[in-house]
Amino acid sequence: MPAVLINRVLGITGRILTLLLTVGITLIGLVALTFCIGRVVPIDPVLSVVGQKASEEVYQRVFLEMGLDKPLWQQFVVYAGKLVRGDFGISFVTNRPVLSDLAGFFPATLELATLGLLAGTLIGVPAGVAAAYWHDKWPDYVIRFVGLIGYSVPIFWLGLVGLFVFYSRLDWVAGPGQIDVFYQGIVKPVTGSLLIDSLLSGEWEVFGNALSHIVLPAALLGYYSLAYISRMTRSMMLDQLSREYVLTARLKGATEYRAVMLHALRNAAIPLVTVIALSYGGLLEGSVLVETVFAWPGIGNYIASSLFRADINAVLGGTVLVGAVFILLNMVSDVVYQMLDPRSNLRRR
Amino acid sequence: MRVKKLINGAALVLALATGQALAETPKNTLVVADAIDDIITLDPGEVSEVGGVLAANQIYQPLLTAATDDSSKIIGVLAESWTASPDGKTHTFKMRPGLKFASGNPVTARDAEYSLRRVVQMKSRSAFILTQFGFTPENVKDRIKATDDMTLVIEIGDTYAPSFLYYCLSSYVGGIVDSKLVQEHEVNGDFGNAWLKVENSAGSGPYVLSRWEPKQSIMLTRNPNYTGETGGLERIFLQHIPESAAQRLLLEKGDIDIANKLGPDDFGAIEENPDVGFVDGRSGTIYYMGLNVRNEHLAKPKVVQALKYLVDYQGIADTISRGTVEVHQTLVPKGFLGEIDYNPYKLDIEKAKALLGEAGISGELTLDTVVWNTPPYTDFAQAIQATMAQAGVKLNLEVVDGQQWLERYRSSNLDIWLGLWGPDYPDPHSNAKAFAVNKQDAPDGSAGLADRFGWAAGSLSQDAMAAVREQDTDKRRAMYETLQKAHTDTSPFLYMFQQVRKVGVRSSIKGVVLGQTFADDRYWNVIK
Repeated sequence: MPAVLINRVLGITGRILTLLLTVGITLIGLVALTFCIGRVVPIDPVLSVVGQKASEEVYQRVFLEMGLDKPLWQQFVVYAGKLVRGDFGISFVTNRPVLSDLAGFFPATLELATLGLLAGTLIGVPAGVAAAYWHDKWPDYVIRFVGLIGYSVPIFWLGLVGLFVFYSRLDWVAGPGQIDVFYQGIVKPVTGSLLIDSLLSGEWEVFGNALSHIVLPAALLGYYSLAYISRMTRSMMLDQLSREYVLTARLKGATEYRAVMLHALRNAAIPLVTVIALSYGGLLEGSVLVETVFAWPGIGNYIASSLFRADINAVLGGTVLVGAVFILLNMVSDVVYQMLDPRSNLRRR
Repeated sequence: MRVKKLINGAALVLALATGQALAETPKNTLVVADAIDDIITLDPGEVSEVGGVLAANQIYQPLLTAATDDSSKIIGVLAESWTASPDGKTHTFKMRPGLKFASGNPVTARDAEYSLRRVVQMKSRSAFILTQFGFTPENVKDRIKATDDMTLVIEIGDTYAPSFLYYCLSSYVGGIVDSKLVQEHEVNGDFGNAWLKVENSAGSGPYVLSRWEPKQSIMLTRNPNYTGETGGLERIFLQHIPESAAQRLLLEKGDIDIANKLGPDDFGAIEENPDVGFVDGRSGTIYYMGLNVRNEHLAKPKVVQALKYLVDYQGIADTISRGTVEVHQTLVPKGFLGEIDYNPYKLDIEKAKALLGEAGISGELTLDTVVWNTPPYTDFAQAIQATMAQAGVKLNLEVVDGQQWLERYRSSNLDIWLGLWGPDYPDPHSNAKAFAVNKQDAPDGSAGLADRFGWAAGSLSQDAMAAVREQDTDKRRAMYETLQKAHTDTSPFLYMFQQVRKVGVRSSIKGVVLGQTFADDRYWNVIK
């Protein structure tokens, strides 16, 4: 008994250690790569601070202040050392610690991406199943066509058309921005997500306004992920529906619903988890185009505008965050995978 | 049937959720849409980005300012009167009595002394506007001095046209801060820079900084101690809305009051809307191409001349820029002292070919042209590339990001730079210094655009310095007029356009005043 227990503990510890090691190496690699690219690209961070007209003396002062006179490896060691202690440095554009910038901008992307993914999954998966079930019949054509448009039409164009129709003409939703000027600064940030914070403080009007602002961009991201998710669901379902076990189930008198939804979909759901997790990761990176059109203060815009100003600390911080998000989602999808797939349980025993 | 019910229900829920009663901006708040994600500081001593200058302009007041309708007219703001010694080297400013900062502290000459000194002492990136008068961190204590609470004496190192100093003091670095308040927040000799940079303001202007969310918005609130003219609006809200089409929709709906970044595509759509109008203005910004004469071909004046005939100036202004630029081919912008109407170049392929032949160019001439990857530069570049090709000049366009674009120009690693120049103060010397004065003639020894492009301006360089030293305004004007013609004819600068501004404004908004230099717009008289 104790031996078995020790073995088990050792096994779990080993797995956790391996996991941590993988995550660590991935993160270090990510930081090193971004750091190198950031320093090697022919962008002069000093110029972006001092501008076109400043004198040579001023240029030198800022050059030294930014520590650019030190060798590249030394700069990296300094940076990495701080990073380990949770110090992402200061963004020279916002003059705030990058960490608090990220804490400010990421929730806006998080709520947008989560709503988008929810819509995309809730509609996309059933649509994909329907398309596969009525393969090469009209529902399939309609769903594929809708998906194709979502996939191939530029999203910023859809965004502008959406704004024009639903905001400008029909007046159903609010326009670009996260909230009306009226409601600016009413809610104290707790989680950083305006929707959640306004609910927490019971500010219903603010919540309504924030909801009205988020509906359109979230729907757009939802449509975009729907296009992908429904296509993947369709092809996975088609694969499963042609398997013999489905035929067997049908021969044994299972209802169509049972055969499709319980037998086939359950098996298709396993790889689908990865598809959905990766879509979520993609959305959480922040869609720069959607954020620009909708003046959304999200992480995509933050990283992009930092990049254009050679704000290297901000770019690195953003990259590490996005990297961490992907690693986290991968871990989650692995866990869900094992829960859904009985074989992986067997293997463990 | 059921589907229809469902859709109707969904629409109803949506409409309820949106709270539609609020279709316009708050009555006491001016909402301005602009692209402001590039601002890195709001300290008036170092502010420089367009949006930052715009905000600082509403917060801080200079000693003097130029009238926006006639920039030759200097108006006292914090200074009540000012005199210059006969040699033009000593300037005395009498402060206007009874003015207060937002903190309640009185505005004195000591504050002016502190504010102007700190720009020089901080070695701020905007210090060049003041240091060109010979101020250094070492001598500034002797040269800028408050002799009593109401008198400021400024001694400049050289004789200059008085108006030149006045214009420089009127620019954004001339904003006066509350010295008592700022000194309380000095850390490690930073002159309160860290304190003033993002979260606080210490001005005497009509508004104070309430909150700046970098890359998102700036909220300004009325300064209760401000006694000057004002439309009385409680707040100004500057919102980051980068997309011009989004700005247009918001403006048409009434969710913003002013749209600063509309593009040519939006103008037509808005013109038919009675709720929305335009405020027209002219910014001093000039679009030009700098030709690097270190290139052996561009060193030949005939080649430079030929290139000037290979741009379809009017065509670009009419078809690409549609109302956002006008053809302008001299170094002094319209609206400034010494402006002239002199546009000698237009597209003439044959003439250009002949000139190239005379210069001994046979076959194709390839030139590396560095272009910023954003409109209108990319559009300009393509149009110019097409017309140049007709005379056998091949522009090798290198479309790069903004920082790289600046870097290439700084290191002179290019043949042609497609760029812009925005004057920092409405005096012709802002441009004459940049385009015509060589290092050895500049009193502070700083390199200008002429040096960057390897051009020895010769006597024009001295002429430009003579013009800025001239005490008599009429004579000074005449000097710029002569200088400009020669400069346009002989320099390796291919001036193309001056920017025209069209700011979209709700019809209910009155009193928006656009400035002459970039971001000198004044919102404090706005009523709605």
